[in-house]
Amino acid sequence: MSRPNYTEISVDRLTKQYAKVRAVDDLSFTVNAGRVTGFLGPNGAGKTTALRMILGLVTPTAGTATIGGVRYVDMPDPIRQVGAVLEASSAHRGRSARNHLRVICRAAGLPDQRADEVLAIVGLNTVGTRKFKGYSLGMKQRLGIAAALLGDPRVLILDEPTNGLDPEGIRWMRDLLKALAAEGRTVLVSSHLLGEMQQLADDVVIIAAGRLIRQGPVSEVLGAAAGVARVRVRTPQPERLATALQEARLEVGGGPDGSLQISGADTAQVGHIAFTAGVELHELIGESADLERAFLDLTAGKAGAR
Amino acid sequence: MNLIRAELLKLRTTALWWIFAILLVPIYGVALAYNWLTANVMLSSDYADVDTGMIGEADRAVSGLYTSGQFFGILLVVLLSAILVTNEFFHLTATSTFLTTPRRELVILAKMAVSVVIALTVWLVTTVLSLGFAPFALSTMNQPSHIGESFVWQAIGLNALAFVLWGLLGVGTGVLIRSQIGATLTLSVLYVVGAQVLSGIFVLLGTMWNESVLTFRVVVPTLASDLMVSGQQFPDDPPRWVGALIMLAYAAVFSVVGTLITKERDVG
Ligand SMILES: Nc1ncnc2c1ncn2[C@@H]1O[C@H](COP(=O)(O)OP(=O)(O)OP(=O)(O)O)[C@@H](O)[C@H]1O
Ligand SMILES: [Mg+2]
Repeated sequence: MSRPNYTEISVDRLTKQYAKVRAVDDLSFTVNAGRVTGFLGPNGAGKTTALRMILGLVTPTAGTATIGGVRYVDMPDPIRQVGAVLEASSAHRGRSARNHLRVICRAAGLPDQRADEVLAIVGLNTVGTRKFKGYSLGMKQRLGIAAALLGDPRVLILDEPTNGLDPEGIRWMRDLLKALAAEGRTVLVSSHLLGEMQQLADDVVIIAAGRLIRQGPVSEVLGAAAGVARVRVRTPQPERLATALQEARLEVGGGPDGSLQISGADTAQVGHIAFTAGVELHELIGESADLERAFLDLTAGKAGAR
Repeated sequence: MNLIRAELLKLRTTALWWIFAILLVPIYGVALAYNWLTANVMLSSDYADVDTGMIGEADRAVSGLYTSGQFFGILLVVLLSAILVTNEFFHLTATSTFLTTPRRELVILAKMAVSVVIALTVWLVTTVLSLGFAPFALSTMNQPSHIGESFVWQAIGLNALAFVLWGLLGVGTGVLIRSQIGATLTLSVLYVVGAQVLSGIFVLLGTMWNESVLTFRVVVPTLASDLMVSGQQFPDDPPRWVGALIMLAYAAVFSVVGTLITKERDVG
């Protein structure tokens, strides 16, 4: 029996109005198969709300979200098509992880042994019979991934899956998601860890205050945001250097460690100004464009937590 | 069918069911002892002499023995049924459940099926025990077992119906009141003191205002259930099946309204 292939996630003019806040505001984007797509936005940007609408848990005020052209709630066998890891999702404290997964297997008509298979994939096979209340945050997160993998889905949607994971766990997650995307699956993952995202994502969707800010491959988004280079210098005579730099119409700010930060210039320019002003330099670093900076620049002033 | 199996597994894989099962034992013992005492009073010859006017009191005492454990057994069933639903929100498992089964009404139907299974199980256990103990208790009072008589089997059958209807009402209430504490407290109060308090109110209304108000007291679920199980207490009370119908209506309305709300409501 061939099963339908739901792969592309398509969000079309999605809106969610809560009593006091428009959590998601006319949001449209698409997510392609075979790539990891990072879903970024400041606290309260509407990431969780958007993901929950895609998964049919929250009813949109307007707009649609489909996966392979079909709404999640209309799929006959959703967890064989889409695996999801959501925050504020949990298991019964008194139930073992293995039984938690078996309940899902029963409801979805999957064989019980699938529970043991996914426990092994996420490295929980030795603690599968332990009760959920005895799980650490990282173990809970791994159990969430295990549940998402039960149906061997073509699409994975994850809301901050690296929350609570240790460095080793984060690396494991990164490798897992990359491997899943390399198999041709669609992976949409929200996160706050921008450095992490830069290593993981192929594409990004950036939102703020419920609206789309930018969507595209990471390199493009970086290129667009990296118009202004930034340089950091350390010197025993910061006042003199600052004056010289300001005379050259450069923007100067103070770093937390007593260093100076200059935007709108590269290292050669700054080095030259320091040399002509006779200022001794101890450190001169050009900061390359990174996702964190691009993100902060793009979302600046767009209302953080609402 | 898959969903019912999933719901049964949910029930079996936490400690809740056996806590309720263990509670059932002493509760049944107390109920049996109470009914035994009542029967002793009702069936004693002095009392029977005095009380020639009240037909059916003796039958009622015998039925009571055969349906021992009904009062608190139903309480356990109704609470467990509500918790089947409220647990999903209390333990934040609703997300996982509704991701697996986005058609939420099917989840609620499966929970109702499980609630019927629970109700019939508790009914079966208490009934089997009663079929053993009641003839023995009656024999200590030099009474026949009455086991061949239809009124005994009618009582046992209506007992099953009461268990099932209250179970469904419990699920419906759990869906309506998602809060674990809210739902269980509401049901306990309604069930345990509801009958007394509300009949009191109706009697008061009846004396102060109009006798005919009393007839409407059966719209209170506890009183409807009483009517169904124990029959008319006043001559102009409606017949038993009206009580059954009212109970069914409550279970149906709560479940349908609750399901519609659950389908619309955001999860998480
Ligand atoms: N059930 C709700 N009722 C009312 N407002 C809500 C509800 N859920 C979310 N909001 C509001 O909607 C906005 C978006 O919240 P959401 O949780 O989607 O943000 P987020 O991007 O996931 O944030 P974070 O990065 O902190 O997880 C916030 O202002 C939040 O307060
Ligand atoms: Mg969130």
